Amino acid sequence: MIRLERATKEVRMKGVRKMIIDDVSVTFPRGKSIGLLGRNGAGKSTLLQIIAGTLELDRGRIIRQGKISWPLGFQGSFQGNLSGEQNVRFVARIYGVNTDELVAYVAEFAELGQFYHAPVRTYSSGMKARLAFGVSMGINFDYYLVDEITAVGDTNFKRKSQQTFKEKLSNSDVIMVSHSTGTLRDYCQTGIVLENGQMTYYDDINEAIAVHESNMKRH
Amino acid sequence: MREMSTRFGAKPGGYLWAFLDPVSHIVFLSVIFMAIAHIPPLGTSFPLFFATGYIGFQFYQAMAGYLNSAVSGNKALLSYPSVAPIDTIAARYALQIVTTTIVAIVVLGYIVFTVRHPVSIHLPPILEAIAAASLIALGIGLANTVLFIMYPIYEKLYGIITRPLFLVSGVFFLPDSLPPIAKDVILFNPLAHIVMQFRTGFYPQYRASGYDGFYVWCVAASLMFVGLVLFTSCRARLRDR
Repeated sequence: MIRLERATKEVRMKGVRKMIIDDVSVTFPRGKSIGLLGRNGAGKSTLLQIIAGTLELDRGRIIRQGKISWPLGFQGSFQGNLSGEQNVRFVARIYGVNTDELVAYVAEFAELGQFYHAPVRTYSSGMKARLAFGVSMGINFDYYLVDEITAVGDTNFKRKSQQTFKEKLSNSDVIMVSHSTGTLRDYCQTGIVLENGQMTYYDDINEAIAVHESNMKRH
Repeated sequence: MREMSTRFGAKPGGYLWAFLDPVSHIVFLSVIFMAIAHIPPLGTSFPLFFATGYIGFQFYQAMAGYLNSAVSGNKALLSYPSVAPIDTIAARYALQIVTTTIVAIVVLGYIVFTVRHPVSIHLPPILEAIAAASLIALGIGLANTVLFIMYPIYEKLYGIITRPLFLVSGVFFLPDSLPPIAKDVILFNPLAHIVMQFRTGFYPQYRASGYDGFYVWCVAASLMFVGLVLFTSCRARLRDR
């Protein structure tokens, strides 16, 4: 379970202030995957960072129960000078999982071949995405935070990663940001719409999508 | 949390560079000064004189340079919630201390064994100099991490202002042998004190007149204080960019 209590966050970017969430209280129940909707710049990624813990709230508090992933994005978060394998070891250590198991799992999953031992800065974006996806699938999180990452790699890899991810979702939940409503319907049961600093929770993802689409039409 | 630390300091080019830099400086200085002077200001060995100066100085210089980029250089890793900005600083601090110490042992060890006269090494002043130098660097590193992000222009200014630091820290001369006015000015620089202190560990006959340990520690403590205050108060902003 993740709960926000009277949470407020304002971000400043180049002098422009933007209220992301304003005095919001909301509970993300365990056992339901959540799609996060909102217009561009509404602060969906910021919200994921708050949930992950890389950003702090200005006011209010957040209660987290369960193991939460870092926000998974296209590029992954890797140190370019280290090899893919070394980066995986690093992640295994900071999350306290068995290093050798994770290294072996990612080696098999990401299918990087020789590149697994080359510095990450030599990777193509597809290879980085595969490595990132492999690492996150190798660790059992209760919540996966997913930022616009749905399908990476070629058709075969896509099929495999979707299958693995679906399997994960039998034990884990996902909080997903995506502009693709099809993907959201595919993975999520419930939805949250972020609009003008307010978050509204909907039990049904289709309802959330409908509200979001009518929001988009108004402007 | 701590085991992970050393990993992310991995330097491109490997450890060899850590040795090449001081060795080339020491050789360069030795050759030039041997050409213009007959004996070094202390002892009889030019390499030993410059090595004790340069390596003592490096405990500050290399550390400060490395810490300044600790957060920006590890930005990718900061997207993991369990890696805090202070971890990158702590990791680099530990790694750099170890690196410079190894370099010091190897380079100074080599020189000490090759000079004709036995050198008596006295550890306490050396360790005190290292501690003070690295703490000053840590305070400056913490403050700079924040200031570089908030005021990019300051980063350029900092580079310009600190460039002559090497010249005024008494690496290749003794502050004691300067005219009184110049000596007073030089001794405002805490690093000059640190280099003097470092040298006393290798030259028992060196009296280091003008050395003021209290001043050095005051500077180190106040820089640490400023660095920590700035770093803690701006902690949240360090991840953003």
